[in-house]
Amino acid sequence: MEYLIHLAILFAIYAILGVSLNLVVGYTGLLSVTHAAFYGVGAYTTAIFLTKSGVGFFSSLILGIAIAVAVSFLIGVVLSKFKGDYYALGTFGFNTIVFAVFLNWQNLTGGPLGIPGISKPELFGINFANNFNFMVLALIFLVLIYFASRFVANSSFGRVLKAIRQDETAIAVFGYNTLYFKLVIFVISAAMAAVAGSLFASYITFIDPSGFQLTESMFILAIIILGGLANLRGSILGALFLILLPEILRFVGFPSDIEAQMRQVVYGIILILLMLYRPQGLIGEYKL
Amino acid sequence: MLPQLILNSIIAGAIYTLVALGFNLIYGATKFFNLAHGIIAAIGGYAVFYFAKTLGLDVYVAIILGVALAGLVGFGLDKFIYLPLRRRKASNMVLLVASLGAMTALQAVIAILFSSQFKTLSGNIGTQKLFTILGGVITQTQLVILLSAALVMAGLVAFLYKTQFGKTVRAISDDEEVARIIGINTNKIIGYVFFIGSAITGFTGILVGFDVGIEPTMGLSLLLKGVIASIVGGAGNIYGGVLGAFLLGFVENFGIWKISGEWKDAIAFALLITFLIFRPRGIMNK
Repeated sequence: MEYLIHLAILFAIYAILGVSLNLVVGYTGLLSVTHAAFYGVGAYTTAIFLTKSGVGFFSSLILGIAIAVAVSFLIGVVLSKFKGDYYALGTFGFNTIVFAVFLNWQNLTGGPLGIPGISKPELFGINFANNFNFMVLALIFLVLIYFASRFVANSSFGRVLKAIRQDETAIAVFGYNTLYFKLVIFVISAAMAAVAGSLFASYITFIDPSGFQLTESMFILAIIILGGLANLRGSILGALFLILLPEILRFVGFPSDIEAQMRQVVYGIILILLMLYRPQGLIGEYKL
Repeated sequence: MLPQLILNSIIAGAIYTLVALGFNLIYGATKFFNLAHGIIAAIGGYAVFYFAKTLGLDVYVAIILGVALAGLVGFGLDKFIYLPLRRRKASNMVLLVASLGAMTALQAVIAILFSSQFKTLSGNIGTQKLFTILGGVITQTQLVILLSAALVMAGLVAFLYKTQFGKTVRAISDDEEVARIIGINTNKIIGYVFFIGSAITGFTGILVGFDVGIEPTMGLSLLLKGVIASIVGGAGNIYGGVLGAFLLGFVENFGIWKISGEWKDAIAFALLITFLIFRPRGIMNK
């Protein structure tokens, strides 16, 4: 049972990451591979405030969102100028730079050793050190973010995003400032990723930079491409699939280090097969 | 300190040149960012490790086999993944994601076969011959790297500009559609381009393996440096790639003069982003 709860919490965290990234990649058509950077910003903010100050989890969550908004705004201002594969390369760059900050800002982030001993939240007398309670909390956040994302996607703002995806030049001719739309959705998506990061840091109680590398961004991208672009339910499906899949590998009985690599092999092959035979993913509405 | 820094920059520049040459050759012909290009370098390095250290073959035979295997893997990727996608007129993004998948899978396969541990190709580290040039120290392997970069570049230029085959490759780089109309079997030529570009990169991986060592993740970092060098110099432009590679080598090594070496990658990407903002076509392209 504990094991299932653990999987459910991981699923909720990755579903949040997937849903939020889908706003940028699926709806707006910008191939962003830097989501793990904002996931990391949320995680580090929570970790640092919980271990080094008296601030509680929920305040640290808000602070994480605020910092992610600030960082993603600075990055987004630059990124919004790019298109297509150059956008993707730019995001590679920012993920690497943010990762380097996590790794090298030793006094604050603990460098490669990371930050241990992060406490779990407590609110209104409910203790979230209990994993079941934590699962409920994570799922509540998932539901909130899902509906917030759906609201954004279905609003008139969301329709402009889809128009940018179809033809950025055309929608710009109609007088829409596309740079502004690309920037705003990037910031919203980053803020949501920070929530997932805060949950992750508090749940695992230990973080180090390796969890927020380029490869993590690629994994989140695999989730939404598998589930389907421009379909929020698809991202949830993708997260469920890619979280459960490695567990099946575990039951096959590989040793743990090989199992981790097998997982990578499976993700890689899934991406290739999807591109070859089903570029829109399981239930996607848009092909890359 | 300063002569050593300059020397280090030149050595780094030579390695990036080799990666950028292969990458640029393929990018020129296909116009998509082949992210699986870096893992080919790791395949070259690990092939030599396997043939020379595990099977005990002669080192030079192992190197030739490693280069050939790297070329074949690149050829195979094109044949079984990229070519079907191109036939279907898939967008660059689809190709990019597919190559991302190929990179992830191949890197993990290497880690399963050889473990993620750092390995070195040269058995005699520390006993390598050292040379002193203008107050800086350079190893024998690094000298070979410099020489190889110059030779490979000269060879590639001669190949592209002096042979009939090179002309067809350049025709495809200019405009694949037109090249096909005048009767060039573009898909076949692109297959060969993948073989050549990958062989060069496999060779780079082997050199890096003798210089510092091999690990499964070496491909990704080499690739990113190669891509940065190509874009900074001018994507698809052979000379541009070389120029970008040396610029990157110098910026990177001088960037960490006063701070920790861990910042190298961040500095490299800062250079890329600066170029993407102010001169996205690179130094050489118009």
